[in-house]
Amino acid sequence: MNPALAAWGAYMRWTDRIPAIRAIVPFIPIVALWAIVAEMEVFPRVFFPGPAEVVRSFLTLTYKGILPAYLEDSLVRLVVGALAGMAVGIPLGILVGLSQTAHRVLWPVLLFFQAIGDIAWLPILLIWFGFGLTTMTFIIVYTVLFPVVLNTVLGVRSVPVDMHRAAQSLGASKARILWEVVLPGALPNIITGLRNGLGYGWRALIAAEMIVGTSGIGFMMFDARRAGSVVEIMLGMIVLGLLWYVVDAWILAPIERATGQRWGLVTP
Amino acid sequence: MSSLTIRDLAKTYFDPYRGVQVDAVRGVSLEVEQGDFICVVGPSGCGKSTILNMVAGFLPATSGEILVGGRAVKGPGPDRGVVFQSFALFPWKTVLENVAFGPKMRGVGRAEREAIAREYLALAGLAHAADRYPNELSGGMQQRVGVARALANKPEVLLMDEPFASVDAQTRMTLQEELTRIWQERRPTIVFITHDVGEAVFLANRVVVLSKGRVMADVAIDLPRPRRWDALVEDDAFKALSGQVLHLVRSA
Repeated sequence: MNPALAAWGAYMRWTDRIPAIRAIVPFIPIVALWAIVAEMEVFPRVFFPGPAEVVRSFLTLTYKGILPAYLEDSLVRLVVGALAGMAVGIPLGILVGLSQTAHRVLWPVLLFFQAIGDIAWLPILLIWFGFGLTTMTFIIVYTVLFPVVLNTVLGVRSVPVDMHRAAQSLGASKARILWEVVLPGALPNIITGLRNGLGYGWRALIAAEMIVGTSGIGFMMFDARRAGSVVEIMLGMIVLGLLWYVVDAWILAPIERATGQRWGLVTP
Repeated sequence: MSSLTIRDLAKTYFDPYRGVQVDAVRGVSLEVEQGDFICVVGPSGCGKSTILNMVAGFLPATSGEILVGGRAVKGPGPDRGVVFQSFALFPWKTVLENVAFGPKMRGVGRAEREAIAREYLALAGLAHAADRYPNELSGGMQQRVGVARALANKPEVLLMDEPFASVDAQTRMTLQEELTRIWQERRPTIVFITHDVGEAVFLANRVVVLSKGRVMADVAIDLPRPRRWDALVEDDAFKALSGQVLHLVRSA
């Protein structure tokens, strides 16, 4: 058999067994290129360290406990902010999606405040709440809230009127329809909103940590700039990317596979 | 005893785009006996779907009266099962959960409602599909689920709004034959809306022809049952009745 085809077949079989390979393989040339450029010393080594230095810095910072502690701080902030954003955003989205009056009153307001980006709130928040957790929490809740609200509204409104009617003529009360029809019907959109919200929220959090933080990955990177440690900045960037991949592949994607894709509401 | 009584039913609505009042239904009266099977036919815009939506309680009537099992209709309710052209199955529920939905809303316990659902799925020839999701089924199978779901709630009247209009012609004939079989076995009261004259004559005991919001004719269909397409296409009585109804609809 053609050896290229044989290799291709082996690759397909392996990735089928261990899907993570599919996500890792595209990075091999990127890391290789990075290593080559660093080894050739096109740029001074302190400005452009290679993968080996970053891995060493990862091990050192993990051993010292700095990286795990900062990572925990950032993640706790993200999770708390996301939960608060969902707790407000999903009910608000359902209200605006179901009630014509609420839609007329709130939709323009939502669009207005959505347009004021998270970071644009920082100046006034710093005056009101100072450099601290309140400011950071406000920013992340704010950032998560709008994608969740707007997508929930879309989801609620995408449930066909015949489905409401079917439930009504099978004897469902308003509360049962909310639980049995509106929520599951809106779920694929709610997950999309959550995906966007978490993505924006994560970025906003890192930015907020750089400016107002005393801990967290964003703070670590900005602090490294002060010390001139490019290695740590690069490490922070890689951690951000990896972490998002983990959240997406291990949490969001499985939920989507089990709901919208299973029901045929979303094409995989 | 009549399951459904409609008296002087009228529906007028305002069309904001044309700026005129539209009389969709103008004084319709109809009696449907318990266990009867009637079809309502008419050209598009004759008001047949509007009537069904008012009987189902989805639309308020402008004037007139609708009684189901002797009680006046105020909004949708489980005494009127509805089968939709769009199927309107819940995609996030399995076939079994869809059919068990009505009993669940009435507070029937899990074991009992699943037994009810399995009974009606078997009646619709879908016992094997209980654990699948609607999107995994063909259109014809989805509408069988729609019929089973409506029947499982044991409604006083089964309202069907062009239920077979969006399936292919072969499947439609099978579904029509199955519906007459199910009707003969269970004798639900059925009001079936369609624009297809052949379908109406094939299915019904009575065909009501609607024109411009009024009842134009009420034709008794005394064809023997069970009815099968391969026998009826050649049947003179069927052809005569179809011709008669078609003539009425085209002159409507």
